[in-house]
Amino acid sequence: MKRKTGEDLQPDVRQLVDHLCRHQAGQVVATLTRLFGPQHLDLAEDVVQETLIKALRQWSYRGIPENPAAWIMAVAKHQALDILRRERRFRDKQAAILQTIEDTADTQTVFRDMSDDDLRDDLLTMMFICCHPAISREAQVALTLKTLGGFGISEIAHAFLTPESTITQRLTRAKRTIKVQRIPFALPNTAELPVRLNAVLDTLYLLFNEGYRASHGDALVRDDLCAEAIRLTSILATHPIGDQPKVHALLALMLLHAARRPSRTDAAGDFLLLDAQDRSLWDRAMIHAGLAELVRSACGDELTAYHLQASIAACHALAPTYAETDWPRILSEYDDLLTIAPSPVVALNRAVAVAMIYGPEAALDELARVREMPGMNAYALFHATVAEFRRRAGNHAAAITAYDAALRLPLTEPERRFLLGKRAECSVF
Amino acid sequence: MAQFMLLIRGGGEAWDNFVPEQAQQEYQKYFAWADQLRSEGRLHGADELKGGGKTVRVRDGQTVVDGPYVETKEGVGGYYLIEAADENEAAEIAKGCPTLRHSGLIEVREINEHA
Repeated sequence: MKRKTGEDLQPDVRQLVDHLCRHQAGQVVATLTRLFGPQHLDLAEDVVQETLIKALRQWSYRGIPENPAAWIMAVAKHQALDILRRERRFRDKQAAILQTIEDTADTQTVFRDMSDDDLRDDLLTMMFICCHPAISREAQVALTLKTLGGFGISEIAHAFLTPESTITQRLTRAKRTIKVQRIPFALPNTAELPVRLNAVLDTLYLLFNEGYRASHGDALVRDDLCAEAIRLTSILATHPIGDQPKVHALLALMLLHAARRPSRTDAAGDFLLLDAQDRSLWDRAMIHAGLAELVRSACGDELTAYHLQASIAACHALAPTYAETDWPRILSEYDDLLTIAPSPVVALNRAVAVAMIYGPEAALDELARVREMPGMNAYALFHATVAEFRRRAGNHAAAITAYDAALRLPLTEPERRFLLGKRAECSVF
Repeated sequence: MAQFMLLIRGGGEAWDNFVPEQAQQEYQKYFAWADQLRSEGRLHGADELKGGGKTVRVRDGQTVVDGPYVETKEGVGGYYLIEAADENEAAEIAKGCPTLRHSGLIEVREINEHA
């Protein structure tokens, strides 16, 4: 008999259990919130938490059952009834909620009979609730990750380098807002939809960005954030309410960035600039999916920042080499982006495009112009970019001055190492 | 080869205090241990037992049904039925069970087979 080791089996199991604990948990929370009402989100979470622990405890003897998702759903319902009977605060509401649960179809199959569309509706409704404009943006992100993503408080705290107590506070306030504002379990109506949808997209974008750009913390957690953002945006994009050009644009942007992520850092975890990245590491299937989303986004009459960013990402993803990148196209897109969504990062990236077409001195002129942008002077990346162009222009002494300016500002270890390396290259001159 | 019951006593309270991420990590350890046994063909059954229960006995000539035999935290919370060469090997195997990290203990008992 072939001997398998525990280590061989673990990755599949870890993924399965992770999937159940995260995604299935999110699904059950959404559906229970529909049954109990959003003001009882706490109850829905308690039920799911207890159910998951029960599941894992029993499975530590028996192993994972044939249909673990159905198991979790069925046990969650029984658990909900138990908690209702136990918890004092639900005594008065108990009768009404119990009736709802027991009424719904057959007592054994309240979840099992739900269609995939029903399940997806619950998930989406929960997404809109988590991203309700009355809730603060940071709380929206935390609530989305906790309820839909099945992330734990410590995981969220770790991902955002924020104390657990702060995350807990944000979640508590968010749930209180849901109660006080009597936010209903319903998708937004046509009138509210534009504002509500923008709020969801902004939060999902923030979530993705946090995973993509963060250079602190655990690589796996950052991957999880990107993956979760893509997952939720995909669910939104395939639902009638989210099947809109800007949603596809956001999804395109996420896929086209995530696809290129494997090449961004080297074995030591240090950053590689785009010209040094190994393009063979890019996820071609994800690029293909991203381009398909870009096509879907190319209709309607609203041009959003997501469209432009996705388009720029596509230019990079389609270029076989750095040298063959369509820089004039990228520059014109950054011009548009600077008009509709100006920011230091956009200005700096635009300057890089200028350098690629017109040379480093022209880029330095651009950077001199944008120096006055709010926050620019305190931005390490600004000085690093200035240093890079001075270096390319052959002005090594001035480059060193700029590297020093960057090194005086807050940097992560990989960033610091990178800049010190570049500075050292200049000092041999 | 002989058959042994590994009776898990205690260690259950830890589960009551976990959040899902911890429960998940804990499960991974149980899975690693139990699945290793399964793949070696040594694991012939395992189940969790619910807490509480009843005790049936004769007292003062009467058959009575009482509550649980011992407090849940001392009672048997579950079992694994495994194959091992002898008691020592069974005990060695039992050392790998994650419950030991949470103040649980494992009673190792050989099944009496009159071959």
